[in-house]
Amino acid sequence: MIASGIRWPMVAAAKSNNEITRELVAPNEDNLPVWWYVGMGLGTLMLAYGAWAFYMSLTVGLGTWGLTNSVGWGWDIINFVWWIGIGHAGTAFTIFFLVFRQRWAASINRTAEAMTVFAVLCAALFPLLHMGRPWLAFFIMPYPNTRLLWVNFNSPLLWDVFAISTYLLMSITLWYFGMVPDLATMRDRAKNKVSRAIYGFFSMGWDGSMIAYNRYETLTRILGGLAAPLVISVHTIVALDFSISILPGWHATILPPYFFVGAIFSGFAMVLTIMILLRKAFKISDFITDKHFDAIANVLKFGSLVIGLAYAIEIFIAWYSGVEYEMYTFLNARATGSFSTAFWIMVFCNAIAPQVFWFKKARRNVWILFTVSIIINIGMWFERFIILISSLAEDFLPSSWTDYSPTLVDIGIYVGTFGIFICGMLLFIRFIPIIAVNEVKAFKKDGN
Amino acid sequence: MAYKHIIAKFKDETVLLKALTILQEHKVNLVDIYGPFATHDILKKFTRESKLPYAAIIYGLISITAIFGLMYYTSVIDYPINYGGKPYFSFPPMVVIMFLVTILGTTILSVLTFHGRSMVFPGKPTQTINPDVTDDTFYLVVDQNYNPEEIKVWLKESGADEVFEKEL
Repeated sequence: MIASGIRWPMVAAAKSNNEITRELVAPNEDNLPVWWYVGMGLGTLMLAYGAWAFYMSLTVGLGTWGLTNSVGWGWDIINFVWWIGIGHAGTAFTIFFLVFRQRWAASINRTAEAMTVFAVLCAALFPLLHMGRPWLAFFIMPYPNTRLLWVNFNSPLLWDVFAISTYLLMSITLWYFGMVPDLATMRDRAKNKVSRAIYGFFSMGWDGSMIAYNRYETLTRILGGLAAPLVISVHTIVALDFSISILPGWHATILPPYFFVGAIFSGFAMVLTIMILLRKAFKISDFITDKHFDAIANVLKFGSLVIGLAYAIEIFIAWYSGVEYEMYTFLNARATGSFSTAFWIMVFCNAIAPQVFWFKKARRNVWILFTVSIIINIGMWFERFIILISSLAEDFLPSSWTDYSPTLVDIGIYVGTFGIFICGMLLFIRFIPIIAVNEVKAFKKDGN
Repeated sequence: MAYKHIIAKFKDETVLLKALTILQEHKVNLVDIYGPFATHDILKKFTRESKLPYAAIIYGLISITAIFGLMYYTSVIDYPINYGGKPYFSFPPMVVIMFLVTILGTTILSVLTFHGRSMVFPGKPTQTINPDVTDDTFYLVVDQNYNPEEIKVWLKESGADEVFEKEL
């Protein structure tokens, strides 16, 4: 194996396989730190608020949301797009690892995939609730029924149903299959019968056979290969929900690539936030090195340039098209009008702040990395806010213009999804090795 | 039926690779290698290329045909609806669902094939050679041969940490 001079060792210090196992499963075996309980408490409170908002949405109806006749898509769809974007990073890391053979991603992809699964679960909740009667959600599946109706295969909203369902299934499959050998490790190290039985059930009787490993590696490569076009198509389809309509600001061919890059951008920022916190909380700095953060920061820098370019192109095309409605949306409503504060927050957070990563010192400073990653996540939320609300609130007819503000129920559902995400991630950290132990061992000698 | 196998224990995968080369040169029947992880070199030397990708292509073709058939049947034959004068059979919007269902079908069927072929599934009882096989130790299992003593010597010479016999 030829190790290129520009790459770095997979594990910062020389360690035996046994040492790698012990260090990487320590978060699962040691006593729980105080912050874990604090996090779970906070997550549970958020979940409780979310549960109230969920209950209100179900029992009273969507009238409890801030939606109006003009702004029919509000916080629910903003947050749906935001969460699904965050989810993309996990799959992107898996593709980096399995398809592009970027071995440094092996230390990160397990946590990134966990993040994907929980983020997609959070995202899926919003369109489900937005149906108004989620208990009839199965109506959108094509099956022979007594109503003698079929679904409309021409609708981008139905494409979304297929895209999100496929994506959720693919993320869970990739995540689960990636951890089977590590679950076997946990099973064989388990000290009590209950955990041995649970890990034993999910480890599928894994015995480390190389014949099984061969098929397993082939399967994960196939899944990685399938996930690559899927991840692009999912956010493309989310973008088509908007661009197939005729609203100014939505009806644009740039939306699919722009949404996809935005998704990867926000997802990588969230991965950075989580990995910085995990590295601080556990002794894994030999596995998650400064160079990992450097690589992610470089992706963010590139993503930021593409996003900044997309913002500029949107404004240019609005002006160049000569369509007064487009010009109004971009030049008046967004850049200088009612939504200008949100617009410039978006521009600063997504296009300007990440430029700090041109400096190596910034890419190696954990505080700067953490701050910018949070700034990007805020900026990407504002991007979805701008796209959705500015186009709906001020469309073709001034008589239908309206203000939009979320209600406590809207906010509650969003906070509740944070509860799902935080509790889910904390349970993941507790019960599953956060770094793919078997993959780190396999590549430790080859380097990245 | 369980019968005795020669088993060599290795802590280092590079030593295992050396032993594997020696045994393969002497055309010794190998049963399997068990270990905590798989390196590209071990898999290349010991296993044959899996045919799963060919199966995946077939699954993809089945999925794309099935979903196209369903969409054509529902949109054109069973319940044609006139959406603003658009044709009943409109191929471009079908492409999106065909694409997604191809991925969905291929994923599900490939995973099921893996379960069936490798006989691993959630809840399968665990039978490992030793618990350290999922931590830091490799076990090379050799089938019954006419020259067991000679095989043991080759294994020891190649650097195996331990060579023993066990019923499997």
